[in-house]
Amino acid sequence: MITAGMDLGAKLIKVVIVSDGKVIARVKKTSGFEQDVSASEAMKEALEQAGVTADEVDRIVATGAGRNFAPFAHDRLTEVGAAARGAIARLPEARTVIDVGAEEGRAILITPEGRVKDFAVNEKCAAGAGTFTEAMARALEVPLEELGALSLTSDKAVPMNAQCVVFAESEVVSLLHARTSKRDIARAVHDAIASRIVSMARRVSIKPEVVLIGGMAFNVGFVESLKRTLEMEVHIPEEPDYVPAEGAAWAAYDKVAGKAAVDVQE
Amino acid sequence: MPKYPTEPLKCWKKAKELREKYYRDYASASEKGGLRWTGGAWSFDAIPAGLGDDVYPITGEPYSASIAFNKPFSMRCLEETEARGWARDLCSYMRNYWGSMYLSEFNLGGKYPKPDFAFQDHICCSHGKWYQVVAEYEDIPYFCIDISVGPYNELDEDRLMFVVNQMHESIDWMEKITGRRYDDEKLIEAVRNDCRSTSTWADICVLNKNIPAPLDEKTMYSLYVFGTLSKHSKEVADFYEELRDEVKDRVERGIAAVGNERCRLMSDTQPPWGFLKVFRYLEEFGALSVGSLYTFGLIGMWEDKPDGSWGPRTTPMELGVPMGTRDQALRVLADWSLSRPEWQHFYDADLKSKMMLRIVKEWKLDGVMLHMNRGCEGLSCGIAENRLAIAEADVPVMTFEGNMGDEREFDLAKTRDRIDAFMETMELERVEE
Amino acid sequence: MFSKFKQWYENRHDYAREWKERTGGKVMGCFCSYAPEEILVAAGWLPSRILGSHEPQDVSEKHIFGMFCPFCRDVLAQGLKGRYNYLDGILMTQACLHLRQSYMSWKMHVPVPFQHYIYMPQKVQTRHAVPYHRSELVKFTKALEEFSGIRVSDDDLDRGMTVVNENRGLMRQVYEYRKEPEAKLTGQEAMWMTVSSMWVDKEEHSSELKRVLEQLPDRAPGRDTGARLMLIGSENDDMPFIELVEKVGATVVVDDHCTGTRYFWNLCEHQDDRITAIAERYIRRPACPVKDWEERTRFGHILELARDFQADGAIIIQQKFCDPHECDMPPLRKFLDEHDIPNLMLEFDATTPLGQFRIRVEAFLEMIGQEDLF
Repeated sequence: MITAGMDLGAKLIKVVIVSDGKVIARVKKTSGFEQDVSASEAMKEALEQAGVTADEVDRIVATGAGRNFAPFAHDRLTEVGAAARGAIARLPEARTVIDVGAEEGRAILITPEGRVKDFAVNEKCAAGAGTFTEAMARALEVPLEELGALSLTSDKAVPMNAQCVVFAESEVVSLLHARTSKRDIARAVHDAIASRIVSMARRVSIKPEVVLIGGMAFNVGFVESLKRTLEMEVHIPEEPDYVPAEGAAWAAYDKVAGKAAVDVQE
Repeated sequence: MPKYPTEPLKCWKKAKELREKYYRDYASASEKGGLRWTGGAWSFDAIPAGLGDDVYPITGEPYSASIAFNKPFSMRCLEETEARGWARDLCSYMRNYWGSMYLSEFNLGGKYPKPDFAFQDHICCSHGKWYQVVAEYEDIPYFCIDISVGPYNELDEDRLMFVVNQMHESIDWMEKITGRRYDDEKLIEAVRNDCRSTSTWADICVLNKNIPAPLDEKTMYSLYVFGTLSKHSKEVADFYEELRDEVKDRVERGIAAVGNERCRLMSDTQPPWGFLKVFRYLEEFGALSVGSLYTFGLIGMWEDKPDGSWGPRTTPMELGVPMGTRDQALRVLADWSLSRPEWQHFYDADLKSKMMLRIVKEWKLDGVMLHMNRGCEGLSCGIAENRLAIAEADVPVMTFEGNMGDEREFDLAKTRDRIDAFMETMELERVEE
Repeated sequence: MFSKFKQWYENRHDYAREWKERTGGKVMGCFCSYAPEEILVAAGWLPSRILGSHEPQDVSEKHIFGMFCPFCRDVLAQGLKGRYNYLDGILMTQACLHLRQSYMSWKMHVPVPFQHYIYMPQKVQTRHAVPYHRSELVKFTKALEEFSGIRVSDDDLDRGMTVVNENRGLMRQVYEYRKEPEAKLTGQEAMWMTVSSMWVDKEEHSSELKRVLEQLPDRAPGRDTGARLMLIGSENDDMPFIELVEKVGATVVVDDHCTGTRYFWNLCEHQDDRITAIAERYIRRPACPVKDWEERTRFGHILELARDFQADGAIIIQQKFCDPHECDMPPLRKFLDEHDIPNLMLEFDATTPLGQFRIRVEAFLEMIGQEDLF
């Protein structure tokens, strides 16, 4: 049996193909202006990589913000559902998924079957973790990729406002005025985001093991802050950005196999 | 094929007329020598009724909700209020209302009709301040009754009398500022009507325990509103009795609000008024909201019934409580009102959680969606605790952020996204057309 | 000279634990400055106002909706983190919804042996407020008596009134020295004093005040008073901010805060019915905006203070999301403008963006200074 999952995000499209319990293809592509065209291209590439034809794919599930416009998808799954299913495939012990991207942060409590038990999404005022680090990297004149590593060199916790990005940004300006070192500010930024995310995540009762996905999973500084704030181990799956697309592919797989995680009435 | 038959409400037209008449009466009161007063949806509107039959209220919350429906006007109101220095996170009803007052524009057309006096009650921190600002701007007399005397299960004589004493004080004040003689008979009649309206509304809500639900919450919003406009009036009390009979008839004939009902939900707090289509979106999944503590208990009066269920509070008339004097009538009105379900969480979130879980059980609900309403600190007080209590009881619960009266704080696409995810957790897919 | 107050301010929890050990008494965590301290002192309890710690925290969001004020969330966080685990009781004197929310959540999630909610009138302007508040205070006294197995006599209440009044009177005497052309103490010193009085044993606090009062007349401030400022707002113990203000050419000479004058300004005047006397004191004290309707009485108090202390300007500290204060803000600013009191409004969170505020405060001081030039 062969199934595929597509994650249609605002910036990137990811396609994952799975066959007999294994991932056989992964493709990432920028969304561009015509998302459906990019999606078709991504699918084509993935099929080539997997060495299968479109007809051989039994089912396709789409997720991501653009899921409703996905070409050739049979079903749709929200980012929440896809993240849950994808995480459990990577780590069967996972019970909490924290997903932190450019704009939104989510915490999802999952069952051993990869179903969603409860979830929380950040309120408007605490949005924009990824975007915030970008802005802070600019303010500190540090390349974004280095911000995480830089904060690891700090051994000093500088308190920063945890509620609102705009207020926090002005605090960074204050810290610069006060000649706080860049490394300590970098850590303060990650601590502040981690605090906001954990604050939100506590609304669902966090249970181990905790898996972190989304763009912020690549940021070592944030990961460190998150572990410290949570006082828990945090697992980062390999290529964490593929987890939702994989989740969608597994959801399609479940459905064909008849053990639907998502109960479909036809 | 829908599972259940549906049909529109017969008294819909009457409801519309009643609502229009309410605002028209208010707007034109002065032309006929009548009096206009402004206050809250929870004001003791039975009290000014003693000033005569030509005394008309406008209640701020429903008026502001009607502004919120009219998005371009609402935006102008909010911006006008902000331009005058008021913070953007204040009660959005209050900001819409003030905006309409400052712009001197009435949502139903024409100039904003200036009230003769303001008569409010105070349980939420914004209540007393709202009409303080109105009274200052309009230069009108203002009286506000403090009702924050604790939850009903702790009510005693001292606490009750603090409210009753202020009621007496308000009558003396009304006589003084209007120069009219107060008619106790009219007060007594108004108190009777208040009890009849608010108990009957609860009776209507009880009918929604049936499967399929005869009413959905979106429809109930248009109906419960009379209790916030003029619960003391005979028209409203009579209308609710007529409505109850019609809903009963729907139940007997198996008429559903939503034909494909398969998932019963409840909401909480005021909805984002400009986006009631959220409720239509639920229907795509065969889900509907059958009510909330908000629609049931903002106006409706409830009590434990002998069989352990939650039902309409037995009226003082049914119990034969004496109501022959002003003092007796005021005591009844105070005691009756202080049992209002939506007044209890102002002191203890737990009281609200218990009522919510009771609704989940008795109304046979599958889940709860809480509106984290940035526009109302009063009704969102304790809401995070309510969420925890509901989740702990293993009832699926989702939250969505928004604002009842400020559309800038509501994100339709994100809300739909959350509903999608919530429906997934309840394993519901869209109903195929 | 004020180091003792500073020490008390910084070590509130150590102080309370040590006090308990030393006296064997009980500590009441008070959620609002309307707590009837006379009764607590009469019953042998230590009133201890619960304040936040001005640190970022991630424990309250689960319990309190994010649009509630940072202060109430900071307060709850202290409870959830176990910082107040020595309390024998918590007391809510009906305040704003936000603090009530903290109290509710504390009651549910932080075990405390005694809890009491005084349904204090919000409308203090009705003639029925005093008798009603009296009845609430009687209930509270009874609850305390039952819990502690003691009886609070009239003599106890007299002592409670005397002790609390003395402390209030002494702090007012200290405030007198802020009126001098060269203020004898800084705003920060005054803040250490008033805020610590909310949790230090009143008699102990008073004896330290007496010591300070002996020395104050001869104190050389050793600094330029600069612009004389008034602080206006809700709860405020933001030390880094007041320190900043006083470093850039200004001195805070008076305040309208519930951690300042609103808390201690008026005395409890003796009446045969002691509880009526106490009820009256709290009903008549300078009002929190939450209780300041239908008339606005607060502005008169502010103006009187500004004049008495010759304030050149006012900084209004608006706690983010604090609705009662936001409802006073435009009329307050208009009122200050009409009375030629220049004012600057700053929105406060649990922590302060100092760099940004510094620019605004300096610009404000420049503006005030310019007026003198012409």
